[in-house]
Amino acid sequence: MRQSTPIARAPMIPQLAARRFASVVFRSYALRRVLKAALTIYLVATLTFFIVRLMPGNPVDVYIHTLISQYGFTYDDAANQAAALFAFNPNEPLLVQYWAYLRALTRGDFGMSLVSPGTPVTSVIMTYLPWTLFSAGLGLLISFLLGIMLGMVMAYQREGVLDHILTAAGSFFQSIPNYLVAIVIVVFFGVQLGWLPITEMRGAYSPGMQPGLNLAFVKDALYHAALPILTYVLTTIGAWMLLMKSSTLSTLEEDYVTVARARGLRDGRIMRSYVGRNAVLPLFTQMAISAGFVVGGSVVIEKIFVYQGIGFILLDAINRRDYPVMQGIFLIITFAVVAANLLADLLYSRLDPRIRVSGGE
Amino acid sequence: MAAWQRSSASNGAPVPVLSVRNLEVRYFTRAGTVQAVRDVSFDLHASESIALIGESGCGKTTLGLALLRLLPKGARIVDGEIRYRRRDGQVIDVLQLDEEEIRRFRWQECAMVFQGALNALNPVLRVWDQMLDTARAHAALSRDEVRERSERLLRMVQLEPERVLNAYPHELSGGMRQRVMIAMSLLLDPQIIIYDEPTTALDILTQRAIIEVLRALREQLDFSMLFISHDLPLAAELADRVATMYAGKIIEVGDVREIFYNPRHPYTLGLIKAVPPIVGELYDISSIPGTPPNLIEPPAGCSFHPRCPYARERCARETPPLYEVGSLHTSACHYWREVKLERQVVETGD
Repeated sequence: MRQSTPIARAPMIPQLAARRFASVVFRSYALRRVLKAALTIYLVATLTFFIVRLMPGNPVDVYIHTLISQYGFTYDDAANQAAALFAFNPNEPLLVQYWAYLRALTRGDFGMSLVSPGTPVTSVIMTYLPWTLFSAGLGLLISFLLGIMLGMVMAYQREGVLDHILTAAGSFFQSIPNYLVAIVIVVFFGVQLGWLPITEMRGAYSPGMQPGLNLAFVKDALYHAALPILTYVLTTIGAWMLLMKSSTLSTLEEDYVTVARARGLRDGRIMRSYVGRNAVLPLFTQMAISAGFVVGGSVVIEKIFVYQGIGFILLDAINRRDYPVMQGIFLIITFAVVAANLLADLLYSRLDPRIRVSGGE
Repeated sequence: MAAWQRSSASNGAPVPVLSVRNLEVRYFTRAGTVQAVRDVSFDLHASESIALIGESGCGKTTLGLALLRLLPKGARIVDGEIRYRRRDGQVIDVLQLDEEEIRRFRWQECAMVFQGALNALNPVLRVWDQMLDTARAHAALSRDEVRERSERLLRMVQLEPERVLNAYPHELSGGMRQRVMIAMSLLLDPQIIIYDEPTTALDILTQRAIIEVLRALREQLDFSMLFISHDLPLAAELADRVATMYAGKIIEVGDVREIFYNPRHPYTLGLIKAVPPIVGELYDISSIPGTPPNLIEPPAGCSFHPRCPYARERCARETPPLYEVGSLHTSACHYWREVKLERQVVETGD
């Protein structure tokens, strides 16, 4: 036993250092979450890569065969063309391709669009993604803020007229799919009644408008995004209202609210810092999930309103079998979901001190 | 009924800080109207400490909440008077105050520490912010004054101010949180503090520590105290007078020693016998048979008669008034002369 001690001690030192590093990473809540998020994105990227390439009749082969049979390319030419478009060389071993793919990804290189040759997928995404983030993000924000305010009002005036009306309306709109609301707006208010100039409101901004950060352009962008935003708000606000109402009702039962009243605090202060702030905490997880789906959830809505966002272009890419664009958008959707969850978790730990401490920050 | 009130008035004693008369509180529920507090009257004098004793559900917490008009939805004060004497000598009727006046009355004049020690503080705000919130709501003190007062009070309740003020509630133990609440109750220097079972959720050692803290505070600071508890010996350590409550009514009031050695109501007697003595024969312990009455339809006559070993036919018929049974000692029992504590009670506290 005595002899083994110094021998055992020697290799302990690098081990200890590694363990200390691991413990630093794992004790920090933020670092742990970032690590998890990066791992998720990496796994999805890997999965996308192998599924596209291992499927029988994978899009790359299909594209090469199309080039050979329809345009009379030689296999090598076709393969080179495909390699340029998909940003990889099909003749290389799969693992080499995989490595090249990952390296391209870290540079933000998703390959080239098939349908419009010479256009990198990245620039397609950069062109259309901001509009989706703008419209769907604003829709979510309005819906969330309005929802929690109305939810609190409902809880404070429980069993009142407003509570009954809003509960009924909330459950009604919550149960209608958003594309149906969009279609009703277009068909009924746009075409039948002619109240809304839907043709004029199409697109992300008016033709001839110079994109820039000025009031006229922002107003124009809001005008064009109004109907998608309205649809997002109408179909999601019910859920926020009802969630916030039940969360507020249970928070109102908490001892610290009664104690706050006993302490003679003003109603406004109690409503904001004692009831509201605690009641909204559980909604943040929900908010994270919704924020992640901002990018992916807009597909049909953007098609119906002819709003040129990422969802619009995704449907387009699917119709035209533009695989690199699809692959890029799917990755962006994954990235959005993961990033939103990460952001919400980090924000949550800022808002709830109990999480902050257990994370050891 | 008014025997002990009259005597205090005829003595030419100063006007009590708090004077409750014929207070009636009802809960309006689907099952019916619950008569939670029935015809309660008592006086709380300056620097005096009254213990309000009774089983769970006898209405003692409701009474405490009613004094601050903090009753939950569905509960209402239907009758009675709560008169409060301010420091300047002016007597106000708490039930006549408007919303803003009652808000300022709370904590500034009359603070209340609740039994839910674990959950009494907002989990997302630091203790300091909650101290500041409390002071700001009453606009009485500057930031530095709040800081200085908070630190002094926290030291008085045996806490380290620097650590506790910067802590979130979940970083403190149950006992520490309750001490924070006790310190906070004193922040605005109120004339009255209601302690509603302040030790209930705590372990026995922490309970003891809290009682010691309260006892020390009573010696150092000048405030009147209403101590609500189901634990008679515990309450007796802090109380000058004891009021026993049963089925929403105060059924016996007296000096703490008088109540302990010479209880004149069978229910108070039962409460004393239900607690094991520290020294003495264990077979003397007995519980009160039966369960607390339904307050939707309280028993006719004396509410306690279905459980009372002394009960006779008259008790079911006639509601007993508060008889004067001794010096400043009243009991609502027709047969108070027969009620006697047989065993020797072990002296506690002093």
